Amino acid sequence: MSDHLSQSAIPTEPRRHGLRAWVRARLTRPLLALLAFVLIAPLVPYAAMYAERGNVPNPGTALWNEVRQRTGPIDADTQVRGVESNVLINQVGERWREFRSKMLVPAGAWLLLGTLAFLALFRTLRGTIPLEGGRSGQLVPRFSVNQRVVHWFAAILFVFLAVTGLVLLYGRFVLIPLLGPEGFSATAAAAKEGHNLFGPIFPFAVLAMLVLFARGNGFRWIDVKWFFKAGGLLKGHPASSGYYNGGQKSWFWMVLLFGIAISVSGLILDFGVFGQGREVMALAHVVHGGVAVVFIAASLGHIYIGTIGMEGAFESMSHGYVDANWAREHHDLWLAEMEAAGMVGVEPNALEEVKRHDNIDFKGFGSPGTKAVEG
Amino acid sequence: MARMKFLCDTERCIECNGCVTACKNEHEIPWGINRRRVVTINDGEKGERSMSVACMHCSDAPCMAVCPVDCFFQTADGVVLHDKDICIGCGYCFYACPFGAPQFPTGGVFGSRGKMDKCTFCAGGPGEANSAEQVRKYGRNRLAEGKLPLCAEMCATKALLAGDGNLVADIFRQRMAYRGAAGLGTGWGVAYDKGLRKGSGLEGKAAGKDE
Repeated sequence: MSDHLSQSAIPTEPRRHGLRAWVRARLTRPLLALLAFVLIAPLVPYAAMYAERGNVPNPGTALWNEVRQRTGPIDADTQVRGVESNVLINQVGERWREFRSKMLVPAGAWLLLGTLAFLALFRTLRGTIPLEGGRSGQLVPRFSVNQRVVHWFAAILFVFLAVTGLVLLYGRFVLIPLLGPEGFSATAAAAKEGHNLFGPIFPFAVLAMLVLFARGNGFRWIDVKWFFKAGGLLKGHPASSGYYNGGQKSWFWMVLLFGIAISVSGLILDFGVFGQGREVMALAHVVHGGVAVVFIAASLGHIYIGTIGMEGAFESMSHGYVDANWAREHHDLWLAEMEAAGMVGVEPNALEEVKRHDNIDFKGFGSPGTKAVEG
Repeated sequence: MARMKFLCDTERCIECNGCVTACKNEHEIPWGINRRRVVTINDGEKGERSMSVACMHCSDAPCMAVCPVDCFFQTADGVVLHDKDICIGCGYCFYACPFGAPQFPTGGVFGSRGKMDKCTFCAGGPGEANSAEQVRKYGRNRLAEGKLPLCAEMCATKALLAGDGNLVADIFRQRMAYRGAAGLGTGWGVAYDKGLRKGSGLEGKAAGKDE
Protein backbone atom coordinates (compact mmCIF):
# COMPACT_ATOMS: atom_id res chain seq x y z
CA MET A 1 0.00 0.00 0.00
CA SER A 2 2.73 2.33 1.01
CA ASP A 3 4.60 1.29 -2.02
CA HIS A 4 1.81 2.16 -4.28
CA LEU A 5 1.13 5.49 -2.63
CA SER A 6 4.73 6.59 -2.42
CA GLN A 7 5.25 5.77 -6.02
CA SER A 8 2.25 7.60 -7.23
CA ALA A 9 2.74 10.66 -5.01
CA ILE A 10 6.49 11.18 -5.08
CA PRO A 11 7.97 8.72 -7.48
CA THR A 12 11.49 10.23 -7.30
CA GLU A 13 11.73 9.76 -3.48
CA PRO A 14 13.99 6.87 -2.41
CA ARG A 15 12.09 3.94 -0.89
CA ARG A 16 13.93 3.90 2.47
CA HIS A 17 12.25 7.22 3.43
CA GLY A 18 8.82 5.86 2.56
CA LEU A 19 6.96 6.43 5.86
CA ARG A 20 8.40 9.87 6.57
CA ALA A 21 7.72 10.96 3.08
CA TRP A 22 4.20 9.65 3.28
CA VAL A 23 3.57 11.57 6.54
CA ARG A 24 5.08 14.71 5.16
CA ALA A 25 3.12 14.53 1.96
CA ARG A 26 -0.24 13.36 3.21
CA LEU A 27 -0.72 14.49 6.81
CA THR A 28 0.97 17.86 7.25
CA ARG A 29 -1.80 19.88 5.76
CA PRO A 30 -4.72 18.13 7.46
CA LEU A 31 -2.90 18.30 10.77
CA LEU A 32 -2.26 21.98 10.40
CA ALA A 33 -5.89 22.52 9.46
CA LEU A 34 -7.03 20.59 12.53
CA LEU A 35 -4.72 22.60 14.74
CA ALA A 36 -6.05 25.81 13.31
CA PHE A 37 -9.62 24.66 13.82
CA VAL A 38 -8.97 23.66 17.44
CA LEU A 39 -7.43 27.04 18.13
CA ILE A 40 -9.98 29.15 16.28
CA ALA A 41 -13.24 27.31 16.95
CA PRO A 42 -13.60 28.48 20.57
CA LEU A 43 -13.38 32.08 19.35
CA VAL A 44 -16.32 31.75 17.00
CA PRO A 45 -19.04 32.34 19.62
CA TYR A 46 -17.17 35.44 20.76
CA ALA A 47 -17.00 36.71 17.22
CA ALA A 48 -20.71 36.09 16.91
CA MET A 49 -21.23 38.02 20.11
CA TYR A 50 -19.22 40.94 18.80
CA ALA A 51 -21.16 40.91 15.58
CA GLU A 52 -24.40 40.78 17.52
CA ARG A 53 -23.26 43.62 19.71
CA GLY A 54 -22.69 45.74 16.63
CA ASN A 55 -26.35 45.33 15.73
CA VAL A 56 -27.65 46.58 19.05
CA PRO A 57 -28.67 50.15 18.39
CA ASN A 58 -27.52 52.82 20.74
CA PRO A 59 -30.83 54.18 22.02
CA GLY A 60 -29.41 57.68 22.11
CA THR A 61 -28.33 57.42 18.49
CA ALA A 62 -31.64 55.93 17.44
CA LEU A 63 -33.52 58.75 19.14
CA TRP A 64 -31.33 61.44 17.61
CA ASN A 65 -31.66 59.86 14.16
CA GLU A 66 -35.41 60.04 14.53
CA VAL A 67 -35.28 63.60 15.74
CA ARG A 68 -33.17 64.53 12.73
CA GLN A 69 -35.55 62.51 10.51
CA ARG A 70 -32.66 60.50 9.09
CA THR A 71 -34.83 57.40 9.00
CA GLY A 72 -37.80 59.00 7.29
CA PRO A 73 -40.56 61.33 8.41
CA ILE A 74 -40.74 61.78 12.15
CA ASP A 75 -43.30 59.67 14.00
CA ALA A 76 -44.16 62.10 16.73
CA ASP A 77 -47.13 63.70 18.45
CA THR A 78 -47.70 66.85 20.39
CA GLN A 79 -50.62 68.53 22.10
CA VAL A 80 -49.82 71.74 20.23
CA ARG A 81 -51.88 72.11 17.08
CA GLY A 82 -50.12 73.71 14.16
CA VAL A 83 -48.23 73.10 10.95
CA GLU A 84 -45.27 70.82 11.68
CA SER A 85 -45.64 71.36 15.42
CA ASN A 86 -44.59 67.73 15.93
CA VAL A 87 -41.31 68.28 14.09
CA LEU A 88 -38.45 68.73 16.54
CA ILE A 89 -35.70 69.76 14.12
CA ASN A 90 -36.58 71.69 10.99
CA GLN A 91 -34.71 69.97 8.18
CA VAL A 92 -34.46 72.86 5.74
CA GLY A 93 -33.93 75.91 7.92
CA GLU A 94 -30.15 75.91 7.92
CA ARG A 95 -29.89 75.19 4.21
CA TRP A 96 -32.36 77.99 3.48
CA ARG A 97 -30.43 80.36 5.71
CA GLU A 98 -27.18 79.42 3.94
CA PHE A 99 -28.80 80.01 0.55
CA ARG A 100 -30.23 83.36 1.53
CA SER A 101 -27.24 84.70 3.43
CA LYS A 102 -24.39 83.27 1.37
CA MET A 103 -25.89 82.95 -2.11
CA LEU A 104 -28.93 85.12 -2.73
CA VAL A 105 -27.86 88.28 -0.93
CA PRO A 106 -24.25 88.51 -2.17
CA ALA A 107 -24.78 87.00 -5.63
CA GLY A 108 -27.90 89.11 -6.17
CA ALA A 109 -26.00 92.23 -5.16
CA TRP A 110 -23.14 91.41 -7.52
CA LEU A 111 -25.55 90.65 -10.33
CA LEU A 112 -27.57 93.85 -9.93
CA LEU A 113 -24.60 96.12 -9.33
CA GLY A 114 -22.71 94.36 -12.12
CA THR A 115 -25.59 94.96 -14.51
CA LEU A 116 -25.70 98.63 -13.55
CA ALA A 117 -21.94 98.91 -13.97
CA PHE A 118 -22.15 97.22 -17.36
CA LEU A 119 -24.88 99.60 -18.48
CA ALA A 120 -22.87 102.58 -17.23
CA LEU A 121 -19.83 101.31 -19.14
CA PHE A 122 -21.91 100.70 -22.24
CA ARG A 123 -23.34 104.19 -22.01
CA THR A 124 -19.88 105.66 -21.62
CA LEU A 125 -18.57 103.83 -24.66
CA ARG A 126 -21.59 103.89 -26.95
CA GLY A 127 -23.73 106.72 -25.60
CA THR A 128 -27.32 106.98 -26.69
CA ILE A 129 -27.76 104.92 -29.84
CA PRO A 130 -28.83 107.65 -32.25
CA LEU A 131 -31.12 107.66 -35.24
CA GLU A 132 -28.38 107.61 -37.87
CA GLY A 133 -30.64 108.96 -40.57
CA GLY A 134 -32.39 111.48 -38.34
CA ARG A 135 -36.14 111.65 -38.13
CA SER A 136 -38.10 111.11 -41.30
CA GLY A 137 -41.29 112.55 -39.87
CA GLN A 138 -43.09 109.50 -41.15
CA LEU A 139 -44.77 107.40 -38.48
CA VAL A 140 -45.29 103.66 -38.37
CA PRO A 141 -47.80 102.16 -35.92
CA ARG A 142 -46.06 99.72 -33.61
CA PHE A 143 -47.95 98.96 -30.40
CA SER A 144 -51.71 99.03 -29.94
CA VAL A 145 -53.49 100.76 -27.09
CA ASN A 146 -54.15 97.39 -25.46
CA GLN A 147 -50.52 96.40 -25.74
CA ARG A 148 -49.36 99.65 -24.24
CA VAL A 149 -51.87 99.49 -21.39
CA VAL A 150 -50.86 95.95 -20.57
CA HIS A 151 -47.17 96.82 -20.87
CA TRP A 152 -47.40 99.71 -18.47
CA PHE A 153 -49.68 97.82 -16.13
CA ALA A 154 -47.10 95.05 -15.94
CA ALA A 155 -44.18 97.49 -15.87
CA ILE A 156 -45.48 99.61 -13.01
CA LEU A 157 -46.43 96.51 -11.04
CA PHE A 158 -43.05 94.97 -11.75
CA VAL A 159 -41.11 98.01 -10.61
CA PHE A 160 -43.23 98.29 -7.48
CA LEU A 161 -42.74 94.61 -6.62
CA ALA A 162 -39.05 94.78 -7.44
CA VAL A 163 -38.46 97.81 -5.23
CA THR A 164 -40.47 96.43 -2.30
CA GLY A 165 -38.79 93.05 -2.70
CA LEU A 166 -35.33 94.60 -2.76
CA VAL A 167 -36.23 96.59 0.36
CA LEU A 168 -36.86 93.30 2.15
CA LEU A 169 -33.71 91.67 0.73
CA TYR A 170 -31.21 94.49 1.10
CA GLY A 171 -32.87 97.04 3.40
CA ARG A 172 -31.15 95.59 6.45
CA PHE A 173 -27.76 96.44 4.99
CA VAL A 174 -28.59 99.59 3.05
CA LEU A 175 -31.58 101.30 4.65
CA ILE A 176 -31.15 100.69 8.40
CA PRO A 177 -28.03 102.91 8.47
CA LEU A 178 -30.02 105.60 6.65
CA LEU A 179 -33.43 105.38 8.32
CA GLY A 180 -32.65 103.88 11.70
CA PRO A 181 -34.28 100.69 13.03
CA GLU A 182 -37.72 102.25 13.64
CA GLY A 183 -37.80 104.13 10.37
CA PHE A 184 -36.75 101.09 8.41
CA SER A 185 -39.22 98.89 10.29
CA ALA A 186 -42.07 101.12 9.11
CA THR A 187 -40.68 101.14 5.57
CA ALA A 188 -40.19 97.39 5.52
CA ALA A 189 -43.65 96.75 6.98
CA ALA A 190 -45.18 98.90 4.24
CA ALA A 191 -43.03 97.20 1.62
CA LYS A 192 -44.04 93.77 2.87
CA GLU A 193 -47.76 94.61 2.93
CA GLY A 194 -47.58 96.23 -0.49
CA HIS A 195 -45.64 93.32 -1.93
CA ASN A 196 -48.05 90.78 -0.48
CA LEU A 197 -51.19 92.69 -1.53
CA PHE A 198 -50.20 93.65 -5.07
CA GLY A 199 -48.09 90.58 -5.81
CA PRO A 200 -51.07 88.33 -6.55
CA ILE A 201 -52.06 90.69 -9.41
CA PHE A 202 -48.78 90.01 -11.21
CA PRO A 203 -49.87 86.63 -12.65
CA PHE A 204 -52.68 88.45 -14.47
CA ALA A 205 -50.18 90.91 -15.92
CA VAL A 206 -48.03 88.00 -17.12
CA LEU A 207 -51.08 86.32 -18.65
CA ALA A 208 -52.10 89.52 -20.43
CA MET A 209 -48.55 89.94 -21.73
CA LEU A 210 -48.67 86.42 -23.09
CA VAL A 211 -51.96 87.08 -24.88
CA LEU A 212 -50.96 90.41 -26.40
CA PHE A 213 -47.26 89.95 -27.11
CA ALA A 214 -46.84 86.26 -27.96
CA ARG A 215 -47.50 86.80 -31.64
CA GLY A 216 -44.28 87.46 -33.52
CA ASN A 217 -42.09 86.31 -30.65
CA GLY A 218 -41.24 82.91 -32.06
CA PHE A 219 -37.51 82.50 -32.65
CA ARG A 220 -36.30 82.39 -36.25
CA TRP A 221 -32.93 81.80 -37.89
CA ILE A 222 -32.63 85.54 -38.40
CA ASP A 223 -32.56 85.98 -34.60
CA VAL A 224 -29.48 83.78 -34.38
CA LYS A 225 -27.78 85.97 -36.95
CA TRP A 226 -28.95 89.00 -34.96
CA PHE A 227 -27.25 87.61 -31.86
CA PHE A 228 -24.03 86.95 -33.80
CA LYS A 229 -24.01 90.60 -34.78
CA ALA A 230 -24.55 91.55 -31.09
CA GLY A 231 -27.88 93.02 -32.07
CA GLY A 232 -26.21 95.89 -33.87
CA LEU A 233 -25.53 97.46 -30.48
CA LEU A 234 -21.94 98.02 -31.50
CA LYS A 235 -21.21 100.79 -33.96
CA GLY A 236 -21.26 99.86 -37.60
CA HIS A 237 -22.73 96.41 -37.13
CA PRO A 238 -26.28 96.69 -38.45
CA ALA A 239 -28.33 93.61 -37.67
CA SER A 240 -31.42 92.78 -39.63
CA SER A 241 -34.62 91.92 -37.80
CA GLY A 242 -38.35 91.60 -38.16
CA TYR A 243 -41.03 92.94 -35.87
CA TYR A 244 -39.14 91.77 -32.81
CA ASN A 245 -35.41 91.20 -32.71
CA GLY A 246 -33.62 88.38 -30.87
CA GLY A 247 -33.14 90.44 -27.74
CA GLN A 248 -36.77 91.44 -27.57
CA LYS A 249 -37.86 87.85 -28.10
CA SER A 250 -35.53 86.68 -25.36
CA TRP A 251 -36.95 89.28 -23.03
CA PHE A 252 -40.51 88.21 -23.86
CA TRP A 253 -39.79 84.58 -23.04
CA MET A 254 -37.91 85.60 -19.93
CA VAL A 255 -40.91 87.62 -18.79
CA LEU A 256 -43.14 84.63 -19.41
CA LEU A 257 -40.98 81.97 -17.75
CA PHE A 258 -39.71 84.11 -14.88
CA GLY A 259 -43.19 85.53 -14.50
CA ILE A 260 -44.73 82.09 -14.09
CA ALA A 261 -42.00 80.93 -11.69
CA ILE A 262 -42.20 84.06 -9.59
CA SER A 263 -46.01 84.02 -9.58
CA VAL A 264 -46.36 80.40 -8.50
CA SER A 265 -43.68 80.66 -5.81
CA GLY A 266 -45.07 84.00 -4.68
CA LEU A 267 -48.59 82.66 -4.29
CA ILE A 268 -47.25 79.74 -2.23
CA LEU A 269 -45.46 82.20 0.05
CA ASP A 270 -48.30 84.68 0.20
CA PHE A 271 -51.10 82.27 1.01
CA GLY A 272 -49.74 80.10 3.78
CA VAL A 273 -53.19 78.87 4.70
CA PHE A 274 -53.08 75.54 2.91
CA GLY A 275 -50.92 73.83 5.50
CA GLN A 276 -47.73 74.04 3.46
CA GLY A 277 -44.75 73.37 5.66
CA ARG A 278 -41.38 75.03 5.93
CA GLU A 279 -39.81 72.84 3.26
CA VAL A 280 -42.29 74.05 0.65
CA MET A 281 -42.05 77.63 1.87
CA ALA A 282 -38.25 77.60 1.84
CA LEU A 283 -38.15 76.09 -1.63
CA ALA A 284 -40.68 78.65 -2.87
CA HIS A 285 -38.55 81.39 -1.38
CA VAL A 286 -35.41 80.07 -3.08
CA VAL A 287 -37.19 80.08 -6.45
CA HIS A 288 -38.82 83.45 -5.78
CA GLY A 289 -35.66 85.24 -4.67
CA GLY A 290 -33.35 83.59 -7.17
CA VAL A 291 -35.61 84.30 -10.14
CA ALA A 292 -36.39 87.80 -8.91
CA VAL A 293 -32.80 89.08 -8.91
CA VAL A 294 -32.17 87.68 -12.40
CA PHE A 295 -35.51 89.11 -13.58
CA ILE A 296 -34.68 92.53 -12.15
CA ALA A 297 -31.17 92.49 -13.62
CA ALA A 298 -32.59 91.65 -17.07
CA SER A 299 -35.24 94.32 -16.71
CA LEU A 300 -32.53 96.93 -16.12
CA GLY A 301 -31.19 96.25 -19.59
CA HIS A 302 -34.70 96.40 -21.06
CA ILE A 303 -35.49 99.65 -19.25
CA TYR A 304 -32.19 101.23 -20.28
CA ILE A 305 -32.45 100.44 -23.97
CA GLY A 306 -36.13 101.38 -24.02
CA THR A 307 -35.63 104.81 -22.49
CA ILE A 308 -32.35 106.73 -22.56
CA GLY A 309 -30.32 104.04 -24.32
CA MET A 310 -31.79 104.40 -27.78
CA GLU A 311 -33.19 107.38 -29.59
CA GLY A 312 -36.71 106.86 -30.85
CA ALA A 313 -37.43 103.67 -28.94
CA PHE A 314 -39.53 104.94 -26.07
CA GLU A 315 -42.25 106.45 -28.25
CA SER A 316 -43.30 102.99 -29.45
CA MET A 317 -44.58 102.35 -25.93
CA SER A 318 -45.75 105.89 -25.21
CA HIS A 319 -47.91 106.91 -28.15
CA GLY A 320 -47.52 103.66 -30.05
CA TYR A 321 -45.83 104.96 -33.22
CA VAL A 322 -42.22 104.92 -34.26
CA ASP A 323 -40.38 106.97 -36.82
CA ALA A 324 -39.88 105.18 -40.13
CA ASN A 325 -36.13 105.74 -39.89
CA TRP A 326 -36.06 104.09 -36.45
CA ALA A 327 -37.89 101.13 -37.93
CA ARG A 328 -35.47 101.05 -40.85
CA GLU A 329 -32.45 101.01 -38.59
CA HIS A 330 -33.70 98.50 -36.04
CA HIS A 331 -36.51 96.49 -37.65
CA ASP A 332 -35.84 96.69 -41.37
CA LEU A 333 -37.80 93.61 -42.41
CA TRP A 334 -40.81 94.77 -40.47
CA LEU A 335 -40.63 98.21 -42.09
CA ALA A 336 -40.56 96.63 -45.51
CA GLU A 337 -43.76 94.77 -44.69
CA MET A 338 -45.37 97.89 -43.35
CA GLU A 339 -44.40 99.81 -46.47
CA ALA A 340 -45.88 97.09 -48.63
CA ALA A 341 -49.06 97.34 -46.63
CA GLY A 342 -49.13 101.10 -46.98
CA MET A 343 -48.87 101.64 -43.25
CA VAL A 344 -45.96 104.06 -43.30
CA GLY A 345 -46.15 107.80 -43.20
CA VAL A 346 -49.65 108.38 -41.99
CA GLU A 347 -50.76 110.86 -39.38
CA PRO A 348 -51.62 109.06 -36.15
CA ASN A 349 -55.14 110.37 -35.90
CA ALA A 350 -55.81 110.08 -39.60
CA LEU A 351 -54.65 106.50 -39.49
CA GLU A 352 -57.00 105.73 -36.63
CA GLU A 353 -59.85 107.27 -38.61
CA VAL A 354 -59.02 105.46 -41.83
CA LYS A 355 -58.61 102.07 -40.22
CA ARG A 356 -61.71 102.44 -38.16
CA HIS A 357 -63.70 102.84 -41.35
CA ASP A 358 -61.88 100.46 -43.61
CA ASN A 359 -61.16 97.77 -41.02
CA ILE A 360 -58.04 96.67 -42.84
CA ASP A 361 -56.66 93.34 -41.65
CA PHE A 362 -52.93 93.38 -41.96
CA LYS A 363 -50.91 90.19 -42.02
CA GLY A 364 -47.36 91.25 -41.53
CA PHE A 365 -44.03 89.70 -40.65
CA GLY A 366 -45.44 88.13 -37.55
CA SER A 367 -46.57 91.63 -36.84
CA PRO A 368 -49.36 92.51 -34.49
CA GLY A 369 -48.85 96.11 -35.50
CA THR A 370 -52.26 96.47 -37.06
CA LYS A 371 -53.91 96.11 -33.71
CA ALA A 372 -52.86 99.70 -33.25
CA VAL A 373 -55.54 100.74 -35.60
CA GLU A 374 -58.44 98.66 -34.47
CA GLY A 375 -59.62 101.52 -32.39
CA MET B 1 -21.99 86.38 33.03
CA ALA B 2 -23.76 83.10 32.73
CA ARG B 3 -24.55 81.59 29.35
CA MET B 4 -28.19 80.61 29.64
CA LYS B 5 -29.22 77.24 28.25
CA PHE B 6 -32.18 74.90 28.18
CA LEU B 7 -31.72 71.16 28.31
CA CYS B 8 -34.43 68.52 28.21
CA ASP B 9 -33.49 65.13 29.60
CA THR B 10 -35.43 62.70 27.40
CA GLU B 11 -34.94 59.91 29.92
CA ARG B 12 -36.94 61.87 32.44
CA CYS B 13 -39.59 63.77 30.50
CA ILE B 14 -43.01 62.22 31.11
CA GLU B 15 -44.96 64.47 28.72
CA CYS B 16 -47.03 66.06 31.48
CA ASN B 17 -47.01 69.41 29.62
CA GLY B 18 -46.47 71.15 32.93
CA CYS B 19 -43.82 73.34 31.30
CA VAL B 20 -46.24 74.36 28.53
CA THR B 21 -48.92 75.24 31.05
CA ALA B 22 -46.53 77.09 33.33
CA CYS B 23 -45.28 79.15 30.40
CA LYS B 24 -48.72 80.00 29.09
CA ASN B 25 -49.92 81.01 32.51
CA GLU B 26 -46.88 82.99 33.57
CA HIS B 27 -46.80 85.09 30.43
CA GLU B 28 -50.56 85.09 29.73
CA ILE B 29 -49.92 83.88 26.20
CA PRO B 30 -52.96 84.05 23.93
CA TRP B 31 -54.56 81.09 22.20
CA GLY B 32 -52.73 79.81 19.17
CA ILE B 33 -49.29 80.72 20.44
CA ASN B 34 -47.13 78.10 22.09
CA ARG B 35 -43.74 79.29 23.17
CA ARG B 36 -43.03 75.79 24.43
CA ARG B 37 -44.35 72.42 23.36
CA VAL B 38 -43.74 68.79 24.28
CA VAL B 39 -43.14 66.37 21.42
CA THR B 40 -43.42 62.63 21.91
CA ILE B 41 -41.62 60.28 19.56
CA ASN B 42 -42.96 56.74 19.03
CA ASP B 43 -45.94 57.42 21.26
CA GLY B 44 -47.13 54.17 22.86
CA GLU B 45 -44.35 52.11 21.32
CA LYS B 46 -41.06 50.73 22.49
CA GLY B 47 -38.51 53.50 22.64
CA GLU B 48 -41.06 56.23 23.33
CA ARG B 49 -39.40 59.46 24.33
CA SER B 50 -40.74 62.90 25.03
CA MET B 51 -38.97 66.19 25.01
CA SER B 52 -39.94 69.73 25.73
CA VAL B 53 -38.80 72.20 23.12
CA ALA B 54 -38.82 75.97 22.80
CA CYS B 55 -36.41 78.63 21.64
CA MET B 56 -32.97 77.23 22.45
CA HIS B 57 -31.32 80.66 22.44
CA CYS B 58 -28.68 79.66 19.89
CA SER B 59 -25.26 81.24 20.02
CA ASP B 60 -25.36 81.66 16.23
CA ALA B 61 -29.09 82.17 15.95
CA PRO B 62 -30.52 81.65 12.44
CA CYS B 63 -33.46 83.93 13.24
CA MET B 64 -31.08 86.79 13.96
CA ALA B 65 -29.19 86.07 10.76
CA VAL B 66 -32.16 86.11 8.41
CA CYS B 67 -34.36 88.80 9.98
CA PRO B 68 -34.79 91.43 7.24
CA VAL B 69 -35.33 94.21 9.79
CA ASP B 70 -32.68 93.02 12.26
CA CYS B 71 -35.10 93.02 15.21
CA PHE B 72 -33.27 90.37 17.25
CA PHE B 73 -30.63 90.90 19.87
CA GLN B 74 -28.76 88.71 22.29
CA THR B 75 -28.43 89.66 25.94
CA ALA B 76 -25.20 89.34 27.90
CA ASP B 77 -26.63 86.09 29.25
CA GLY B 78 -26.91 84.70 25.72
CA VAL B 79 -30.68 84.99 25.64
CA VAL B 80 -32.06 85.69 22.16
CA LEU B 81 -34.76 88.36 22.33
CA HIS B 82 -36.56 90.44 19.74
CA ASP B 83 -38.20 93.83 19.46
CA LYS B 84 -41.88 93.55 18.55
CA ASP B 85 -41.96 97.23 17.61
CA ILE B 86 -39.47 96.47 14.84
CA CYS B 87 -40.78 93.04 13.77
CA ILE B 88 -42.80 93.12 10.54
CA GLY B 89 -44.13 89.56 10.75
CA CYS B 90 -42.49 88.23 7.59
CA GLY B 91 -41.99 84.71 8.98
CA TYR B 92 -38.36 84.33 7.88
CA CYS B 93 -37.29 83.46 11.43
CA PHE B 94 -39.78 80.59 11.39
CA TYR B 95 -38.34 79.22 8.14
CA ALA B 96 -34.79 79.39 9.49
CA CYS B 97 -35.34 78.24 13.08
CA PRO B 98 -34.36 74.60 13.67
CA PHE B 99 -36.81 74.24 16.56
CA GLY B 100 -39.99 75.84 15.28
CA ALA B 101 -39.76 78.38 18.09
CA PRO B 102 -41.14 81.53 16.42
CA GLN B 103 -44.90 81.75 16.71
CA PHE B 104 -47.34 84.07 14.97
CA PRO B 105 -50.74 85.17 16.27
CA THR B 106 -52.48 84.99 12.91
CA GLY B 107 -51.99 82.89 9.81
CA GLY B 108 -54.11 84.64 7.23
CA VAL B 109 -53.91 85.29 3.53
CA PHE B 110 -51.63 87.88 1.91
CA GLY B 111 -48.81 86.83 4.21
CA SER B 112 -50.39 88.34 7.30
CA ARG B 113 -48.98 86.83 10.47
CA GLY B 114 -48.81 89.55 13.08
CA LYS B 115 -45.80 90.21 15.29
CA MET B 116 -43.67 87.19 16.04
CA ASP B 117 -43.74 85.79 19.56
CA LYS B 118 -41.35 83.30 21.09
CA CYS B 119 -39.81 82.05 24.30
CA THR B 120 -37.85 84.81 26.03
CA PHE B 121 -36.11 82.57 28.57
CA CYS B 122 -38.37 84.53 30.94
CA ALA B 123 -36.23 87.57 30.20
CA GLY B 124 -38.90 89.85 28.71
CA GLY B 125 -37.77 92.06 25.87
CA PRO B 126 -36.43 95.54 25.22
CA GLY B 127 -37.48 98.30 27.56
CA GLU B 128 -37.82 98.60 31.31
CA ALA B 129 -37.89 95.23 33.08
CA ASN B 130 -41.41 94.17 34.07
CA SER B 131 -42.93 97.47 33.01
CA ALA B 132 -46.58 97.15 32.03
CA GLU B 133 -45.62 97.49 28.37
CA GLN B 134 -42.89 94.87 28.51
CA VAL B 135 -45.12 92.39 30.33
CA ARG B 136 -47.92 92.96 27.83
CA LYS B 137 -45.69 92.38 24.82
CA TYR B 138 -43.22 89.79 26.05
CA GLY B 139 -44.53 88.39 29.34
CA ARG B 140 -42.86 88.47 32.70
CA ASN B 141 -39.17 89.14 33.16
CA ARG B 142 -38.14 86.59 35.77
CA LEU B 143 -34.44 86.86 35.04
CA ALA B 144 -34.56 90.50 36.10
CA GLU B 145 -35.96 89.28 39.43
CA GLY B 146 -33.16 86.77 39.83
CA LYS B 147 -35.36 83.80 38.94
CA LEU B 148 -34.98 81.16 36.27
CA PRO B 149 -37.53 80.22 33.57
CA LEU B 150 -40.74 78.96 35.10
CA CYS B 151 -41.07 75.96 32.76
CA ALA B 152 -37.92 74.41 34.18
CA GLU B 153 -38.69 75.51 37.73
CA MET B 154 -42.07 73.75 37.48
CA CYS B 155 -40.79 70.56 35.83
CA ALA B 156 -41.91 67.74 38.12
CA THR B 157 -39.23 65.26 37.06
CA LYS B 158 -36.51 67.85 36.56
CA ALA B 159 -36.27 66.71 32.99
CA LEU B 160 -36.22 70.31 31.78
CA LEU B 161 -33.21 72.19 33.04
CA ALA B 162 -32.62 75.89 32.56
CA GLY B 163 -29.88 78.18 33.68
CA ASP B 164 -26.17 78.72 33.33
CA GLY B 165 -24.98 76.34 30.66
CA ASN B 166 -22.03 75.16 32.76
CA LEU B 167 -24.23 74.18 35.70
CA VAL B 168 -26.82 72.56 33.43
CA ALA B 169 -24.05 70.59 31.75
CA ASP B 170 -22.63 69.51 35.10
CA ILE B 171 -26.00 68.22 36.27
CA PHE B 172 -26.57 66.35 33.04
CA ARG B 173 -23.05 64.95 32.99
CA GLN B 174 -23.57 63.60 36.49
CA ARG B 175 -26.80 61.97 35.40
CA MET B 176 -25.09 60.40 32.41
CA ALA B 177 -22.37 59.06 34.66
CA TYR B 178 -25.08 57.38 36.79
CA ARG B 179 -26.62 55.84 33.73
CA GLY B 180 -23.52 54.50 32.07
CA ALA B 181 -21.40 55.63 29.23
CA ALA B 182 -22.44 56.43 25.68
CA GLY B 183 -26.09 56.76 26.56
CA LEU B 184 -26.54 53.00 26.53
CA GLY B 185 -27.99 52.98 30.01
CA THR B 186 -31.28 54.56 29.06
CA GLY B 187 -34.82 54.19 30.25
CA TRP B 188 -36.54 55.28 33.42
CA GLY B 189 -35.33 52.21 35.25
CA VAL B 190 -31.80 53.51 34.91
CA ALA B 191 -32.62 57.17 35.15
CA TYR B 192 -34.35 56.70 38.50
CA ASP B 193 -32.88 53.44 39.84
CA LYS B 194 -31.34 54.24 43.17
CA GLY B 195 -29.66 50.87 43.46
CA LEU B 196 -27.61 51.54 40.40
CA ARG B 197 -26.59 54.90 41.74
CA LYS B 198 -25.48 53.41 45.03
CA GLY B 199 -23.46 50.80 43.22
CA SER B 200 -21.77 53.39 41.09
CA GLY B 201 -20.41 55.16 44.11
CA LEU B 202 -21.85 58.38 42.80
CA GLU B 203 -24.77 58.74 45.19
CA GLY B 204 -26.74 61.87 44.59
CA LYS B 205 -28.83 63.73 47.08
CA ALA B 206 -31.95 61.71 46.42
CA ALA B 207 -30.13 58.42 46.93
CA GLY B 208 -28.57 59.68 50.15
CA LYS B 209 -31.91 60.66 51.67
CA ASP B 210 -33.30 57.17 51.35
CA GLU B 211 -30.63 55.64 53.48
